[in-house]
Amino acid sequence: MSPQAILITAFAGAGLVFLAGKVHSHLRDFLAVLSSLALVGLIAWSHGQYGPDNEIVYVPDFLGMELALRLNPLAWFFAIYIAIINAASVVFSLSYMKGKEKLGFYYSMMLLVNAGMLGIVLSGDFLSFYIFWEIMSWSTYLLISYRRGPALHAGMKYIIMSLVGSCAMLVGILSLYAQFGTLQIAELGEAIAGSSSGYVLFILMAMGIAFGVKFAILPLHTWMPDAHSEAVSPFSAVLSGVLVRMGMYGFLLVMYSIVGLKTILNLGAGFFNFHYILSWLGAITIVIPTFIALLQNDAKKLLAWHGIGQGGYMILGMAFGTSLGVAGGIFHTINHGSYIALLFLVVGAVEYRTGGVRDLNRLGGLIQRMPVAFFGCLVGIMGLIGMPLTNGFVSKWFIYKTLITEGHPFLAFMAFVGTWGTILSVYKLLHNMFLGQLPEKYKEVRKAPISMQIPILFFCFVIFLFGVLPGIPLRAIQGIQDTMGFAPLQLTMWGLASGAGALNMLNICFAIVIAFAVVLLLMRLGAKPRRVPQEDSYAAGSSVPAGKYHHSVEFYNPLYQMISPYLKDRVDQFYYWAADKAQGVFELTRRIYTGYAGTYVLYIISFLALLIFLQLAWEIW
Amino acid sequence: MVSPILLIAVPLGLAFAIPVLGLASKRVPRYVPVIAMLFNLVVSVSLLPHALKAPIVVRTAGWAPPYSIHLVAGPLGVLLSSLIALIGLLVAVYGIDYIREGAKVKYQILYILMLVGATGVVLTGDIFNLFVFFEVLCISSYALVAYRGDSTGVEAGAKYLIQGAIGSGLVLIGIGLVYGTFGTLTMADIAANVSSVGSFRLFVSLAFLITGFGVEAAIFPLNGWLPDAHSSAPSSISAILSGIAIKAGLYAIARVVYTVYGASSILPFLAVLGIVTLLIGEMCAFGQEDIKRLLAFSSIGQMGLILFALALASATGISGAVFLIVSHGLAKALLFLASGYMIYRTGSRDISSLNGIGKRMPIMSLCFTVGAFSLIGLPPFVGFASKFTIVRAVLGTGSTFFITLLAIGLIGTVIEGAYFLRIVQGFYFKPAPEDSPEQTEGKVPFSALVPVGLLAVLILTIGLFPGIVGRVLGPAADDLLDRTAYVQHVMGD
Repeated sequence: MSPQAILITAFAGAGLVFLAGKVHSHLRDFLAVLSSLALVGLIAWSHGQYGPDNEIVYVPDFLGMELALRLNPLAWFFAIYIAIINAASVVFSLSYMKGKEKLGFYYSMMLLVNAGMLGIVLSGDFLSFYIFWEIMSWSTYLLISYRRGPALHAGMKYIIMSLVGSCAMLVGILSLYAQFGTLQIAELGEAIAGSSSGYVLFILMAMGIAFGVKFAILPLHTWMPDAHSEAVSPFSAVLSGVLVRMGMYGFLLVMYSIVGLKTILNLGAGFFNFHYILSWLGAITIVIPTFIALLQNDAKKLLAWHGIGQGGYMILGMAFGTSLGVAGGIFHTINHGSYIALLFLVVGAVEYRTGGVRDLNRLGGLIQRMPVAFFGCLVGIMGLIGMPLTNGFVSKWFIYKTLITEGHPFLAFMAFVGTWGTILSVYKLLHNMFLGQLPEKYKEVRKAPISMQIPILFFCFVIFLFGVLPGIPLRAIQGIQDTMGFAPLQLTMWGLASGAGALNMLNICFAIVIAFAVVLLLMRLGAKPRRVPQEDSYAAGSSVPAGKYHHSVEFYNPLYQMISPYLKDRVDQFYYWAADKAQGVFELTRRIYTGYAGTYVLYIISFLALLIFLQLAWEIW
Repeated sequence: MVSPILLIAVPLGLAFAIPVLGLASKRVPRYVPVIAMLFNLVVSVSLLPHALKAPIVVRTAGWAPPYSIHLVAGPLGVLLSSLIALIGLLVAVYGIDYIREGAKVKYQILYILMLVGATGVVLTGDIFNLFVFFEVLCISSYALVAYRGDSTGVEAGAKYLIQGAIGSGLVLIGIGLVYGTFGTLTMADIAANVSSVGSFRLFVSLAFLITGFGVEAAIFPLNGWLPDAHSSAPSSISAILSGIAIKAGLYAIARVVYTVYGASSILPFLAVLGIVTLLIGEMCAFGQEDIKRLLAFSSIGQMGLILFALALASATGISGAVFLIVSHGLAKALLFLASGYMIYRTGSRDISSLNGIGKRMPIMSLCFTVGAFSLIGLPPFVGFASKFTIVRAVLGTGSTFFITLLAIGLIGTVIEGAYFLRIVQGFYFKPAPEDSPEQTEGKVPFSALVPVGLLAVLILTIGLFPGIVGRVLGPAADDLLDRTAYVQHVMGD
């Protein structure tokens, strides 16, 4: 299947759904699901069809440049990942969004964002890349704003930072064009080989700002907590699961497909090596946001901060340029996509059934009311922590191994600290939503509708599948690494056969199953358990009347008080300060236009005088 | 091939026929501008292929240049006259129902005169006629700004008149100095002899011309009149003023600097001026509460960017500038026209009163959004293609000076994005103010939907297929850059 057909389907789907929304709501929903699933099918079908047949020039002359599409292992891998998470979110939206206004707009924007992202990964030149990047950016902005209220502010914050990034990228791209006379990704790789390291660094910086904003690397992350928590939940899943990771795609493309492994590793000297600095940024991006996540009481904000923190792991894996590290970084990207999307959907399901509550201090005890959501949440946080049997374990294993074998104990330590923070904060998420006592008002909560359960269970399945059989995605990742010139890893279906970081998930799986069996056996041998109602709980030896005491309020309060003074988002504060000052300057500038004709005449005459003065003083002509 | 002189003669004739036609029927005058501009559009577009081959030089009264009054319809001139005719036509259609009270007949006459002036400016080959057409353009716009006759309109018109008159005076002095020096008014003839004269004397005349035309071109600090004039005029006139009139001023500057004087060493100064204008325009637009004032300031910003691109002195740079003239003309006309009926509907020019308008006026809001996205430079709209060309040109020069200026200028784009996207958010995602009156007179007639919709379609189509305009841009840039060819064409052998 040619990349052109995929993109035409994607954009046409977005357009048709909007029109169908004017006709009938069922037709619209049907078309939305159909086109998102069709995309998954089309992309899956095109697996392995790489090569010159699928390098297509679709516009021969756009302002004198060729616009091209291409399909290669990297593009395919990201495309399928985008399409699957988007399709799951669209299915989830069916009941989540039911009865809300402007649904035609909502669905078509979901599909447009999807189409934009597919366009980015299928682009064969940087101009197409930029065009699709911008389409994705503005449609995301519209979709974030969709929820109204505080979402408007979040949307503005997002689009302004995104515009700054885009400007930087545009300068970078056109500087490449000015230098080499082409924007074809394949040709740039060869052309850039002889450039000075200063120039390469400039390109990496310019592009890095754009990718860094999307990727939410510190200090460019501040849009993300607001945007992710204010968007509607299915879109939060897309936003955090894939859209942010377009930054990862960009980094991979520029660092390894274009600039090349050799140049990257030799960029800079000693301590001020490019990939060294990038990995430290990654480490900081892990630690600080993860602990800020701990402080959040809004379930979606908590997840959003984790989205930033987990991005740090990907950067950390990718920055080192070893086969193991980059494989870990890429693998972590899709793993993170699967469980963060799952968690956002779970929070969305809870929100949907409880009437829009996502404040962790007001939830609790929903385990029996919403068992599937609970299971999804449990699997999701297991993945996020990186428990064995889940996919998060494998990718984190790769990343840790890389840090240790490359001799960076400090970075490894920061990564571990991040995991501890993750454990604490996601337990809070699970506990405060599902465990503890059930508040009186949630007695009547029903379980999530089937169209929500399907995506949730699907992601659970993926998490375990890739956790036990990591060979499936790793094969595809191997294909990407081959195109970038990395040494191949010794892969098996169960993990890594030999060398640094040998891993066999099958053995681990058996060990865990046996351990489970032993525990189960011991429990059977012990006293017979007695079933009690959920409200039957004790504190300090006496029973607590239902509704008197809620376990999940002010979780971790002492810890909170201890660490919160250190964890202010000073970057965000700085941006607000700068924006405030800038507005002050704007106000002052407006005073130039006094409204008095006399002043304006004075300006005109002064300008004439200035011109003549300039000539007299410096002979400008 | 029809003669380019018809582009001026026919509308002019029709304009003066309006009072007579008005005697026959009250309904006829309002359709005359539509006919005139339709004629101009057809003729301009049909001239385009000829102009691309070689500039068409029209001599009047059988005299050859430098002694005659003549027109030079080169690629740039014909492209701009097509743009003027296109926007003029769409706004004329819009004006059929939009103009409801006041001196309707005079409005239609002045409207045609204004466009004739603009067409003349871009087509004329001698500098005195440049001034004459310029005055036709300016004087009719003074009157049209004050058309409503309310106090703000008259005040804005008067301020515009004062500043415009000073500008015109300066232009006239400049032309006088030139004439005194060379004894000729033909631009090509002056261009051929310019190097033979000492520099300071010549520079003074150039300074007068730049300052004078700069007033109309809205270059900072000469643009004090613009925010008031563009915001108090009826929306259809604002669309022409922002979409076309100020560009005529900029065209005049470019023609004078490039062709007549060949003063390439002052271009860096103009580039700085362009970036300053851009930043000040965008910064002032950011805090505006009044939608039309905001659009006016945004025009200042865009003019700054065009000036900056013109000053790059490279073929790509000038192509980018001309492209931005086209894309800004389309987008700004669209924004003013769309906001015209929104203002009718809500009865207020406050941006906050436009909140929630997306539900009440879906098509107008959608088109406004398209225009705003295009102005910011988001793909796949035409603004992207033009801004892209400019950025490409800057990086193509490879000069640190221009790249630094560009980096500063891009801040302006971010500010622009901030305020336009905030408005778009308001349209769709903010609740309508509770006391908003549901005025029935705001019902959008067909005559307004068609031009606004067409502009949006054009913005999208040219954005997707920039080659439509792109083919003309290269020759248009050469038209400005290549002085010797220009002189040869006009003066003959």
